[in-house]
Amino acid sequence: MTVRKIEVRERVMARNDELAAAVRARLALHHVAAINLMSSPGAGKTTLLERTLAELGEPLDIAVVAGDCQTQNDADRLAVHTGRLVQAIVTGGACHLDALQVSDAINHIDLDRTRLLIIENVGNLVCPANWDLGERERVVLFTVTEGDDKPLKYPRMFEKADWVVLTKTDLLPYVPFDLAGAERNCLQVNPNLRFLRVSAMTGDGMQEWFDFLRHTVAPLAEV
Amino acid sequence: MHELSLAIEIGRLVEEKLGADVGRCVAVGVEVGTESGLEPSALEFCLEAVFSQPPWVRARPVLTCPPGDIFQVTWFEIEDDDSPQDRSP
Repeated sequence: MTVRKIEVRERVMARNDELAAAVRARLALHHVAAINLMSSPGAGKTTLLERTLAELGEPLDIAVVAGDCQTQNDADRLAVHTGRLVQAIVTGGACHLDALQVSDAINHIDLDRTRLLIIENVGNLVCPANWDLGERERVVLFTVTEGDDKPLKYPRMFEKADWVVLTKTDLLPYVPFDLAGAERNCLQVNPNLRFLRVSAMTGDGMQEWFDFLRHTVAPLAEV
Repeated sequence: MHELSLAIEIGRLVEEKLGADVGRCVAVGVEVGTESGLEPSALEFCLEAVFSQPPWVRARPVLTCPPGDIFQVTWFEIEDDDSPQDRSP
């Protein structure tokens, strides 16, 4: 018996990145903008999406892919607010979505009737950061009930993001959260981050969030 | 869990290269950059778990940690019997 060594040098994420590029190209062909919505569990992704679908679901032709470790509870909650299919991905315990899952999910979505695809990732501030899903914008929700040093503890998520949405701002009077300090911490790990502040409960900041979504869709719609 | 999903992807990648010969794989070299965001000992643990399941038989992970954010499979070793026709892949 002899042992042979075979050189490979292949990036572990190469296949996912190829699939993500294919998803991106397919969405571009149909003029669909895609947002990858990420956060820790309980930051308010589903509540924000409920309000979003109720307000903009039809005007912006929004389709949703909702990922969860177990159950399709989030997808069921969202389906109440839209006449369209909310595509659930149950990862079976996996801590993030990958491009193959999204590629499969959009097979069930009428892309010609879609201008904005929102991908609700699994609640987790670590793993989803590493997986390109073919999105155009990466949005991290950062809730005021978390520590304002979260960006320093989980830098990769914030390094890779385009936007940070500070959620549950109606709770600011009741929690020791330094809003300006939190934004400084975000900018320390990624100086290009842009911010929104919202409360899906009171509606504060929601118009700015809706404007962001309209602007995200607009450049592709004009193509 | 993060490292486990990546370990599974490494297993898939090598299986794709080796096909039915994966059972003869005795070692897999992986570079895990110091800025990759991965915990090498956790990844090693997960790879050992992946390599303990069929179709794997006796492979062991060999991790190195160069500077930077590189994360790649760099090599693997397979055991050949010494018959002349046995030179796959």
